[in-house]
Amino acid sequence: MSDAPQPYVRKIDRRTALTWIGVVGAATAVGAGVVVYGPKMGGQPEAKGYGTDPKLVTPDKAPWPRLLSDEELQAAAILADFILPASGAAPAASALGIPDFIDEWVSAPYPDQLKDRPTIRDGLKALAKKSVAERPAAMTALQTSGDAFFKRFRALTIGAYYTTEEGFKDIGFIGNVAREADEGPSPEVKTALEAALKTLGL
Amino acid sequence: MATAEPYDIIIVGSGAGGGMSAYHLTKSGLKVLMLEAGRNYDPTTETPMYNIPAQAPLRGASTPDKPFGFYDATVDGGWEVPNEPYTVAEGSEPFTWWRPRMLGGRTNHWGRISLRFGPLDFKPRSRDGLGHDWPITYDDLAPWYDKTEKLIGVTGAAPPRGLTNTPDSPPGCLMEAPPPRGFELFYARAFEAMGIPVVPMHGAVVTQKMAGRNTCVFATPCGRGCSIGANFQSTTVLLPPAMATRNLTIVTNALVYQVDLDKAGKAKGVSYVDRVTGEHHSVTAKAVVLAAGSGETARILLNSKSSAFPDGLCNTHGMVGRYLMDSVGLNVTGQFPLLEGLPPTNDDGMSVEHTYVPWWGYDKHKELGFPRGYHVEIGGGRSMPSMGLGRLVADDETSVGDDLRAKLRQRYGSIISFNGRGEMIPNDDCYCELDPTAKDKWGIPVLRFHWKWGDHETRQAAHMVTTFLEVIDRLGGKPIGPVERDGRKAISKGGEMIHEVGTVRMGASDADSVVNQYGQTWAVPNLFVTDGAVLVSSPDKNPTLSILALAWRSSDHLATLAKQGAL
Repeated sequence: MSDAPQPYVRKIDRRTALTWIGVVGAATAVGAGVVVYGPKMGGQPEAKGYGTDPKLVTPDKAPWPRLLSDEELQAAAILADFILPASGAAPAASALGIPDFIDEWVSAPYPDQLKDRPTIRDGLKALAKKSVAERPAAMTALQTSGDAFFKRFRALTIGAYYTTEEGFKDIGFIGNVAREADEGPSPEVKTALEAALKTLGL
Repeated sequence: MATAEPYDIIIVGSGAGGGMSAYHLTKSGLKVLMLEAGRNYDPTTETPMYNIPAQAPLRGASTPDKPFGFYDATVDGGWEVPNEPYTVAEGSEPFTWWRPRMLGGRTNHWGRISLRFGPLDFKPRSRDGLGHDWPITYDDLAPWYDKTEKLIGVTGAAPPRGLTNTPDSPPGCLMEAPPPRGFELFYARAFEAMGIPVVPMHGAVVTQKMAGRNTCVFATPCGRGCSIGANFQSTTVLLPPAMATRNLTIVTNALVYQVDLDKAGKAKGVSYVDRVTGEHHSVTAKAVVLAAGSGETARILLNSKSSAFPDGLCNTHGMVGRYLMDSVGLNVTGQFPLLEGLPPTNDDGMSVEHTYVPWWGYDKHKELGFPRGYHVEIGGGRSMPSMGLGRLVADDETSVGDDLRAKLRQRYGSIISFNGRGEMIPNDDCYCELDPTAKDKWGIPVLRFHWKWGDHETRQAAHMVTTFLEVIDRLGGKPIGPVERDGRKAISKGGEMIHEVGTVRMGASDADSVVNQYGQTWAVPNLFVTDGAVLVSSPDKNPTLSILALAWRSSDHLATLAKQGAL
């Protein structure tokens, strides 16, 4: 990781971002594609979900407003890339828009996500307070201390990363393609399985 | 306009029971009006084939709006349906009720497991004094199973095994299934070492050419539905040929709440509310078929009150809503180091399991301490990654970076999930009735459920845990997460297996049943029930294939009566 990382840039167009925030004046555009959000006002009712009959073939973007401040989003990018930095042909988590996904997740009006929201946001806020120089040690401390925020953030990052085409490639998922026939496992797989079963006496 | 047509038959519901009834009755030349509570649905244009999680909100994760994940076929449904509540009685164990609101009902997203009930399943009381006997035998239904399998397309052809109470289909009924996947070859050895056979699953997925259908492409989950008609859905297999007869009219968003009687006490039609406009309509026909799903069918009868039936239609003996059953469900998942690091392979398969474990202990119930069995549905392999992938890394592992990538690659595909599905014996504590006060958006009384698992079921659940842990251990694996060994705590919630059946059961006389062996109500001769409500027992085998076969048999009887002018 470089000492002066480039700021994370949202992987959405500005217009979508403005739709999410609802009020154009609440967001400040600071550059191409970069939108800085003010914190959400307290006491507002939760936004609506996507409903019980969303379009499935060409899904709309999740409709709820995003809650993360730019500081939280930048912290999410740094931590996501600490967990899954670029490696060979596999891109870094931030390059796949994982911070945006974290924002989508913690902003969602559903029970599982509402449960994650304070854990993730508090953790990101704390990380955002660290100086650039302090961050590597801070993240290593999170990683090794059994921190609840870190564990949850890592699980979300893993899920978000490996549910993309790039993630499929990295983990070795080669399905989701139409086939004339399913011939079953390859001879290599069968041989490996037999060897494994032999060690079990099966 | 639906009301202007002279209809022979009104069918309420368009799922397995309603769809099959419409298929046979329209082919028999009868004019049919089908009323579906949900919206129209077209799998050819609405199925998210090949979509990946990254294209969906929250990567497709489960939410209350889409409880089985974003891409699940279910429309406007789930454990809760907007505007259509239900209640669970105070003091009851939990009960949960899955409903869709779409043409084709639950056949759009179901698991496609298509197992025949066996000879013992029709005569449980004769066998051990528990539950109730059906008014028919396996042999009565066997020809209809044959016809149903050939019509809907079921894989699982194999040389006959002659396993107890696990019928082999006659030659020509089933299609070839693809070979077992790696994890299926793997787990089979442990079961076989325990003396338990592993056999091909019977799945409603097509691997040979059928008219108007495509064969399976061995990709994309069946639970999303299938745009190419390679699996069985009422909307792709039953309703198109029924429509082609020009004898079928379908009205959607029509929530039926009442069967209307004429002065002679025969059914003259039904009343429904349009879920979109809120307008009420009444339609007429010579006969009525209820196939709204076990809960909704019972609710319609209970809400059809008259001076002759003050407690609900066909409910003179208080039988409607009684003997509600579900399957016993339980899951234990394991991680297997010996499956780690296998070469990448495509495990998508047919989506439905290629193999399964039928119940093996028919002659051991006395020593086992519970009277009925279960089969095992087993999932695993290198399926498309989901948000749950993070569980491959335990919380106490500090891994990040290249080490994390390597661990995930290594462990991907090394998880196997064991799911028991067992028989429940009907009991007096499990039933549904009208809630005395709660009503839906249109003012129609809703169902109140009562539920209590019996010791038969909880002991069976405990046995599932013990068995699955032994299998996991024999395969050198470890269970993931805490394992609950107490059957009463580990067992699924009532309704959770979405096999709720038995509220309008069939029988030999009106003293202890609501309908006869053809689903014809004892009280109203031109009123039929062709959904899972008529089931007398709930064997471990998933009910859809039997609902289809029974619906066909009952519809054939109804068509015969119609031709004789006997309605």
